[in-house]
Amino acid sequence: MPKRRRYLIEMFTAAGLIVAPFILPHLGFAPNTVNRILVWGLFGIGFDILFGYCGLLSFGQSAFFGTGGFVAAYLLTRAGFPNVLLALVIGMIAAAAVSYLVGLVALRRTGIYFAMITVAIAEVFFFVEFNPLSAFTGGENGLPGVPMPSFNLGFATLRFSDGWSLYQFLAVCYFIGIVIALRIVRSPVGAILSAIRDNPLRAQAIGHNIHGYKLAAFVIAAAYAGFAGGLLGVLQAFMPPDAFTFETSGQLVMQTAIGGIGTLFGPLLGAAVWLFLQDFLQSALNLGAAWKLVLGTVFVLLVTFLRRGLIGGLKDLYELVAHPKKPAEPTEAASLSDFSAAAGSDAAAMVPHKRAADRGSGPILQASGLSKQYGGLRANSDINFTVNHGELRGIIGPNGAGKSTFFKMLTCEIPPTSGKILFEGRDITGKSVTDVCQLGLTKSYQVNQLFTELTVRQNLTVAVLADLRGKFRLDLFRDPESIPGLKEQVEQTLQLVRLAGRPDTKVSDLAYGEKRRLEIGLALATSPSLLLLDEPLAGMSPQERQETVKLLKSIGQGRTMIVIDHDMDALFELAERVTVLQEGRVLVEGTPDEIKANPAVQEAYLGGVLE
Amino acid sequence: MRSAASSATIPEIDATQAPRADHCRQRRFAYFHINVIAKGRRFGRHIVMVNWANFVSQVFNGLALGALLALISSGLTIIYGTLGVLNLAHGAMFMLGGYAGYVAYTYTGSFIVAVAAGSLFVALVGILMERIIIRHFYDRPHEDQLLVTFGLGIVFVELARLVFGSQSQIVPAPPLFAGITSLGFMFYPTYRLAVVGIIAVALTVLFVVLYRTRIGMIVRAGIEDSVMVDALGINVYRVFMIVFGIGAMAAGFAGIVNAPVVSLTPGIGDDILVQTFVVVVIGGVGSFPGAVLGGLIAGEIISITSMFNPGYAYVMLFAAMTVVLVVRPYGLLGTKGRE
Amino acid sequence: MSLLEVSGLNAYYGDSHILFDVAMRVERHEVVALLGRNGAGKSTTLKSLMGVVTPKTGKVVLDGIDLAGAKSHVIARAGMQLVPEDRRIFGSLSVEENIILAGLTASGKWPLERIYDMFPRLKERRSSSGTDLSGGEQQMLAIARALVRDPKIILLDEPFEGLAPVIVRDLVHACRELAAAGQTIVLVEQNLAATLALASRLYIINNGHIVHEGPAGEIKAQPEILQRYLGV
Repeated sequence: MPKRRRYLIEMFTAAGLIVAPFILPHLGFAPNTVNRILVWGLFGIGFDILFGYCGLLSFGQSAFFGTGGFVAAYLLTRAGFPNVLLALVIGMIAAAAVSYLVGLVALRRTGIYFAMITVAIAEVFFFVEFNPLSAFTGGENGLPGVPMPSFNLGFATLRFSDGWSLYQFLAVCYFIGIVIALRIVRSPVGAILSAIRDNPLRAQAIGHNIHGYKLAAFVIAAAYAGFAGGLLGVLQAFMPPDAFTFETSGQLVMQTAIGGIGTLFGPLLGAAVWLFLQDFLQSALNLGAAWKLVLGTVFVLLVTFLRRGLIGGLKDLYELVAHPKKPAEPTEAASLSDFSAAAGSDAAAMVPHKRAADRGSGPILQASGLSKQYGGLRANSDINFTVNHGELRGIIGPNGAGKSTFFKMLTCEIPPTSGKILFEGRDITGKSVTDVCQLGLTKSYQVNQLFTELTVRQNLTVAVLADLRGKFRLDLFRDPESIPGLKEQVEQTLQLVRLAGRPDTKVSDLAYGEKRRLEIGLALATSPSLLLLDEPLAGMSPQERQETVKLLKSIGQGRTMIVIDHDMDALFELAERVTVLQEGRVLVEGTPDEIKANPAVQEAYLGGVLE
Repeated sequence: MRSAASSATIPEIDATQAPRADHCRQRRFAYFHINVIAKGRRFGRHIVMVNWANFVSQVFNGLALGALLALISSGLTIIYGTLGVLNLAHGAMFMLGGYAGYVAYTYTGSFIVAVAAGSLFVALVGILMERIIIRHFYDRPHEDQLLVTFGLGIVFVELARLVFGSQSQIVPAPPLFAGITSLGFMFYPTYRLAVVGIIAVALTVLFVVLYRTRIGMIVRAGIEDSVMVDALGINVYRVFMIVFGIGAMAAGFAGIVNAPVVSLTPGIGDDILVQTFVVVVIGGVGSFPGAVLGGLIAGEIISITSMFNPGYAYVMLFAAMTVVLVVRPYGLLGTKGRE
Repeated sequence: MSLLEVSGLNAYYGDSHILFDVAMRVERHEVVALLGRNGAGKSTTLKSLMGVVTPKTGKVVLDGIDLAGAKSHVIARAGMQLVPEDRRIFGSLSVEENIILAGLTASGKWPLERIYDMFPRLKERRSSSGTDLSGGEQQMLAIARALVRDPKIILLDEPFEGLAPVIVRDLVHACRELAAAGQTIVLVEQNLAATLALASRLYIINNGHIVHEGPAGEIKAQPEILQRYLGV
């Protein structure tokens, strides 16, 4: 983003917050309603980071909303704590701490199981608050008497009371919350969260500790919830027990969906719509209790038709009006033209290796006695396999040879039943995919595993971030521009896979051949010493195959690669040495010519028909 | 407003109201020394007086609740197993069954008609829901499916609130089962006994349908491999619709059968939904035997914990779910496949 | 008119282009083989015919009716039946239930006894659950499921893969009987010997393109074709 447009969103937010008290009353908003909207908006920022950016749908945020609120309220009422702001912060920390423990359990599962677990969490917290801890929480009466914040500045005391006075305090809190959230979302962690939402397995495979990042998102969401809960108590001068209810979580989810998931401001807009309609439907249209029915129906309609909520709908409308001509479907010809450009920069456009491995010689990978057994089925038996630095090795074999199982063992996607794997002299048997990638061994997939909602550049950035920052770093506030070498490495990878012409295109708009190149690019961007390619030519037209073989040859210079493919012609053109597997064992190894002439290999494929 | 102590479907103990209570009760007392042990250190000894009648009564309550949960969860689990959709409106369907039955009862005065009406109405709602809305969500991410069923659940609850108001409605137990039965050492409401029987029958019917009929065969095959079922000439989309209807009907039937035990309010399904989730996680997704086993376990956990401290019932349930998740991630009787 | 005419078939997995303008025809009572290496597109072809994969373009005309793009159950009812490469037996059903299920929507059925005559092994195991069967028995059951529907044409996807030679021999024998009785079969295989024992005509597919068509008997005299497209 160009520097001068950098803080545009923050400025607009500040402007909006400043201007709101002068405009909103004319639209029918009471100050108390606006204050509530801000509290829900703040609550939702954290939730949006968790769900919108990281893809984890939690119905249990009320647990942390209530925890933060009640800790703060308890401190301020029964414990006689003097400072409101500090109490709010303590409440927030309490909520975050609790969420860390809860997250360790809840995040063991994803998707639907995770959602179910969060529902249960919400209920449990409610019941605990109601019964065992009712001495602290006031049970069904809640905690009354929460004071308004006041700040002693030495020369003056700022006292906030009801209505627009309190608005100033809340607006500042919201603004700070948004600024922090924007910072987080723009940071490397934010990019990784988006990648996790799109394709968690690939994020893991390129070297990120996704569990750690998910837990971080969970705790961040809880922190926002906890602080917002405390604010609710201040706003109402009373901490209500229904902060803990499942309805609260549900309301948050619905508001965020209505406003727009993944926009950070969605919850604010959703809360405004919700609270405004609640007032409007009840008073003006005299619908009484039916307001929730209307809102529920609106929610269902939005989820069905307007997937990205109101903000998403507005964005789409803007796109439609501002850029009426949709770019044409990328044609094969267009994508192939990338190949004719900048062909000479091959050797120069190599990704710098942090590992000196490829300057070395001798074996880079040594598998010995590698076997894999599934119950009674032996997929691989006793494979000894060595690849030297700088080699371009091909692996072939007829059906049932166990090639993909073997490949998966090399990348440590599956553990071998017996045997050992040495990578650059280091024993990697039994390690995780993430660790092995960090050590310099990674794979590109037969079926594209890309981050489909992100652009080409963003895809590669996520991969490079793993390379430059290691598998987990909580640099939530770091500006990605400040990471040395990030831009350059992304640029070089773009050049290497001939995608420098379309870096800011979304993956879903790419042609198949381009996606395939990005697939290889993702693996390359982690600057591996050893690159495994699983059927890189899958699904390609004859022309695309030719070009991809050229590309692979250029990538192969100065790198060690192992390729599996069924396109014999292409593979034999690429590989320097070929290993033939049959029925889970190594049959023979040699140069392409030796393999072609080997009668045992022909027999393996043709089943002894030729006499 | 919900009050925590009486989760709508935890049956209450009535032993204390029996006429000949005094000498009966005093005959059976047991003193349990409960050693509260944590981290290998004894924290103290608590003496809990457990009345045998009390205990048996609660075990029985647990059975009743467990059977109810087993039936409702079976419905949820076959929907999820076959369609891959987690129906967050399932609790609302339980509620709708109760209200539909209530309406039928006020018009006909017959409990049997009420049960039939309740079940069939919810089955219809389920079928319509699948046809009109859910069908379009099969290709969408799981989260979208959760959101839309969640929204529909809210719509159903609010519709009920609109039509019937927030005050509770009563469906009286059928005259055949009204009153109290003497079990020798204690007295127990007759209808509560009957509920266990009725639901046991319903579960058996569901079992028979699943394991002894053609449609059941198709459903079981569909849970395993719906693509292959389609390739064998059976229209899977129709199967999905039927499964949704059956699953919904299970919840609706439970709703009306349970109505005489508690009072009907629009929010009655919320608690049930949460408990159902826990049951499905414990029992294993897509497994009918798992739902039954999980239901009974959950029912007993809630009931027995309530004996000591009602507030902890949910905590214990959640703890049990956590243990299962850690030790057997796919549930006690579940299989890998669905996530 | 051929029983099955396929023309201009293009199939994708997502946007991965697997089949390029595939064309073939199958006459009544023929056994036609589709040969090719792994990943060449053999399975995808059968799946496209059966509607398990929806082809993007092309025609699949069975007995005069174009079925391309139709749902699988419609194609099954039209008389085409797939025996998939991983068999896909319903483990939670018994052997007999598997067969009965398959026959539920068939218009002209094979009676159960006829199936059991053909595969006596299955009769012995009629109440075993699908998961208890050996590989060979599962394959027999998969074929039985197709047969019970009395299909016009059976698509066999690598039926002999992963089975012991003695079982393969038995299965080849069973298929031979079927062919002799007039059953039209499309056989996808990598096992050349079994293929040549059954098929009268064959196609070879390579990288998603049909590259050869000819009588099965002649292929042995063309080792260079075999080596090029099936060997290395």
